[in-house]
Amino acid sequence: MSSSLSHPPAHLPPAVALRISQQAPITLRNPPSVISSYSISSLWSAAETPELWTEYENLMLSCLRTGDEQSAHLCLERLTERFGAENEKLMALRGLFQEAIAKDDAELKQVLEEYENILTKDPSNMPVTKRRIALLKTLDKTTEAITALNEFVDSSPTDAEAWAELADLYVGQGMYPQAVFAMEEVLLITPNAWNIHARLGEVLFMAGSTGDSSADKYLGDALRRFCRSIELCDDYLRGYYGLKLTTSKLLSILPQASRQSKSDSGLALPDLKTVERLNETATAKLSEIVRKSVNGEPGWGGYEQAEVIAAKALLDSSAAKTIR
Amino acid sequence: MTWISKSVTGLGLLFLAHACYSAHEHSALHSTSTAALSSIASHSTTASNVTSLPIDISIETVVAVFVICVGLVLGSPELRPIQWRVWAGKIEREGEKGFMSSDGTVDKDYVGNPFRVLESRPGFIDIRKQRKEFAEWVREGGVAVGAPKS
Repeated sequence: MSSSLSHPPAHLPPAVALRISQQAPITLRNPPSVISSYSISSLWSAAETPELWTEYENLMLSCLRTGDEQSAHLCLERLTERFGAENEKLMALRGLFQEAIAKDDAELKQVLEEYENILTKDPSNMPVTKRRIALLKTLDKTTEAITALNEFVDSSPTDAEAWAELADLYVGQGMYPQAVFAMEEVLLITPNAWNIHARLGEVLFMAGSTGDSSADKYLGDALRRFCRSIELCDDYLRGYYGLKLTTSKLLSILPQASRQSKSDSGLALPDLKTVERLNETATAKLSEIVRKSVNGEPGWGGYEQAEVIAAKALLDSSAAKTIR
Repeated sequence: MTWISKSVTGLGLLFLAHACYSAHEHSALHSTSTAALSSIASHSTTASNVTSLPIDISIETVVAVFVICVGLVLGSPELRPIQWRVWAGKIEREGEKGFMSSDGTVDKDYVGNPFRVLESRPGFIDIRKQRKEFAEWVREGGVAVGAPKS
């Protein structure tokens, strides 16, 4: 239980979040010794650990997600008692709580105003700046959110999270070149992040699927990104999935596109034979992963069920195409 | 595997203790016998023999140390991968189960894919959307998994 509490809960499946939040009253029954009033038992109770407060924060997020506002408020109160109301992170958490319990857009706008008041007093408050951007996104003011985020990465260009968020917003708006740029900035900060390589490959693939003139260039780049993600991580299902999609698409457009894009600057497209071999490798690897994961072989159970099903569907559809 | 390593180490320790005891006994016996000898014949031709142990005790000591080493090495936990792609692949392929110790608890420093926060982005979390999705999930009849037995 504690292992899932010590990580940010945003990616947890809803069932796990529900379980965590159902256990919240038990977890919260005893206040931690550091903030409880002095008693003789505090002499032998365990010392305060940093993990404790991370768990409180994550528990609060899980409770807010499942609608258990009382437990969330209790978490918030204890965090405030420990760190003080002026703590930057706590200001953001309090704002998050108010966002969650707000009933309509008017109340959300009030929260937004509150953020702006905080930021006029202290413009360097990073967590609240991020919350403000997130709230702008919630209120469907995506353009404003992008502008604010651009200012944010100007002042703090090494914040990989902000770059990743910016890339996501750009993708939502269909501005693929900008999204690719932002993703590349993320990769400059975390060059070994295999999932970000795969994500960039996906963005490039989307850009290549829009059907404009430089589609084949995008697809070539996507191919390289997926290959890099596989190079960084053995048996990476997402990477092989993307590789298979990209190579299949490239195989269909390469014959007519190979001649005209030679004059382009940058990397040349890979030749037909390489793409075919990559496609075969990806197919073989994907079917191996799907087979082993479905059979439940030991050491192959870490893949997400939905991803395995999607890979199986992709394999089946391509197999049907070949038979036809 | 652990009982093998433990018994091998225990056996080695037993051998070592035996070798030590033998050496002690040998030196004690030897000193008394030489003392008795020297009192009879008052010249010390056997003085060079005092320092040397019989060969079987030396062999037993060396073998015992070797056996202890083997036992300890057998009992060491599985080595962690040091290559990035192997380590990352293990995280993706095995998930939490790959990092469990023998008693079923996940390693304390296990964080899964450390770069996943770049995709979930806790700083920019959209709590209202998450609540909505969760409510929909409940409406579709979702229940908690792995509920505690208590």
